[in-house]
Amino acid sequence: MLSIQHIRKSFGDVQALNDISFDVPNGQILGLIGQNGAGKSTTFHSILNFITFDGQITWQGHAFSAEDFNHIGYLPEERSLMPKLTIEQQIVYLARLKGQSAKVIRPQIDDWLERFAVKGTRKSKISDLSKGNQQKVQLICTLIHQPDLLILDEPFSGLDPVNADLLKRAILDAKQRGAAIIFSSHNMENVTEVCDQLVMLRTGNMVLHGTLQDVRNQFGKTELFVTTDWDARRLATLPGVASVTPRQPGQFRLHLSDPAAGPAIFASLTQGHYIEEFSQQPPTLDEIFRMKVGEADA
Amino acid sequence: MLKTWIVTAETYLRQIKSWSFFFMIIGPFLMLGLTLGISYISANSASSSQEIAVVGTQPVLRRQFIAQHPTELNTKITTVAAAKKALKANHLAGYLTITTTEDQVNAVYRGNHSLSKGVEAQVQNFLAKTQQLTNYQAAKLTPKQQVQLQRTPKLTQHIASKAGTANLAKTISFWLIVTMIYIILITYASITAQEIASEKGTKIMEIIFSSTTATSYFVGKITGILLVIITQIVIYLLGGWAIYAWALSRKGLHAMIAQYQSLIDGVLHNLLNLNLLYLFIGVVLFTLLAAYSGALVAKAEDASKAAQPVVMLGMVGFFATFPFQNNLDALPVKIMSYIPFLSSYFMPMRIINGTVGLGTQWLSLVIALITTGLMSWGIGHQYQHLMLQSDSQTLWQHLLNRRRRN
Repeated sequence: MLSIQHIRKSFGDVQALNDISFDVPNGQILGLIGQNGAGKSTTFHSILNFITFDGQITWQGHAFSAEDFNHIGYLPEERSLMPKLTIEQQIVYLARLKGQSAKVIRPQIDDWLERFAVKGTRKSKISDLSKGNQQKVQLICTLIHQPDLLILDEPFSGLDPVNADLLKRAILDAKQRGAAIIFSSHNMENVTEVCDQLVMLRTGNMVLHGTLQDVRNQFGKTELFVTTDWDARRLATLPGVASVTPRQPGQFRLHLSDPAAGPAIFASLTQGHYIEEFSQQPPTLDEIFRMKVGEADA
Repeated sequence: MLKTWIVTAETYLRQIKSWSFFFMIIGPFLMLGLTLGISYISANSASSSQEIAVVGTQPVLRRQFIAQHPTELNTKITTVAAAKKALKANHLAGYLTITTTEDQVNAVYRGNHSLSKGVEAQVQNFLAKTQQLTNYQAAKLTPKQQVQLQRTPKLTQHIASKAGTANLAKTISFWLIVTMIYIILITYASITAQEIASEKGTKIMEIIFSSTTATSYFVGKITGILLVIITQIVIYLLGGWAIYAWALSRKGLHAMIAQYQSLIDGVLHNLLNLNLLYLFIGVVLFTLLAAYSGALVAKAEDASKAAQPVVMLGMVGFFATFPFQNNLDALPVKIMSYIPFLSSYFMPMRIINGTVGLGTQWLSLVIALITTGLMSWGIGHQYQHLMLQSDSQTLWQHLLNRRRRN
């Protein structure tokens, strides 16, 4: 388990991280969200000991040491490989630095290239690959040694939906193996799909933490999705409805000022009859993100 | 330790396999081969237009001249008419007519260019001897009188040849070692600084530092570069030995080498001793400093500027030796032979001069070794911080602000 306890970091007068604490148990995925400059990369750099910080970070109950390097897979925010090497040389070199034998890694390379649909052979030079394929090779370098702790800084950035799915599958496979995974993303859909828990940072402060459902529930079930023959004006007159947003003809999204108004609205709308859709939900992660960012800007 | 060797092997193989290394190694051999080849071709390709012919009505004189001076002569042309024709067709540089009229030896040269100094001297010498012989015959001198007239004053010089050779060996050794240190330092300071600077601020360094310690990586990198330097030195030593062995097997060159054997032995003795160790320690020190400079640049694009401070220091050491090459007992030489970086130039000078004891040599070497250790530790300690930072400060700003930043 990765455990982060009360870490603080400042750069000059800027407080980059302020009392950040969370755990990532083995076999779980934690999504780190926040605007640019929120402190996501600084958190990763602290975990990897790239920078000094106050507080404590432990892995499997002990402080990080050189012996733990072989168990970490790290994908930095910007991609960077050694352009003069071939795909095979690059993968083998980085895998050997992770304590793997070249004899073990070489036979796996073709499978990994196929798995990530890399356009190129093991003998292709890195400099000859497209940006997207270089990114996939870098992902392979991060994953091929089967790390127990995966740290992925914006892994989905620049990937098209097909490749993003390949990455999601790889992340879920690593989770299945029991790896602890922490990744940052601006794409709330990806976070929603793969994360067990999430942490939201805002200007170095932790503003949200918990499982996805817990976080959403913190905001109450204020969103009501209905399909009805009522029009928007009539829906807005219902008690507890703050606003009405049409989605499709006959489909509306009602924002409630009080989640407790749900049963009364249900009764008014159905009047004992069947209706096609009535779903009361908490706000989506994307909405929560916007809300929290909005609070900061206000 | 294993990871250090992985980095060493990767750095070493990447440099060794590069075209720049190949051309760096082959360059001096190519130059030497070209110089020798051009000299050989030039020596053996004297075209007919550079030859002269000797013609005239007195075949005895002609034969005597040809017998004594077989080179640069066209012996096939025997008549003035044939010589004029060949000269017109530019197959001859000129022709010489030698005649004797009433005990007076005459020679006339006609050509497109004047005689070369060497040929002119040969002609003058031949004419003088022929004239002298003619004079003796005309004067009807007895053989005893002829011998008496041939007497010339004698000047004899007595030079201690061993001391002279030793001094020449010192001068050659001095220039060889100082130039060798300078060239190796300048070359590898640039390679090291660029190698390190090109990785600066790149995310590959983050991946590497999540795999091994910065110190381990740094040591591996420097060791890789040092192995490249050792490879180059070994190739040159083997190449030098092969050329020397080849030269010994050539009859003409063997005689020349034998003539200068004591000089060659003296130079080799001066080079293959503690000086070689000084050369190596100097290279290590400058390589470390170059790596530090490389790690200080603002971004990878500034890699070419990274070697500047190290190259400047190397030049200071190189040029500082010039004023002292004939005054190796001067106090500044003694002081600088203990100062790391400068000692790589100055202590070998003193060792070559033979005016420094073994204890002093080792003291200077120990100082250089301690400095090397401290630098390795210090730079290795800061390496991660330096390599991961990506601000826009220049090299000099970094040097000035480093203490405050830490």
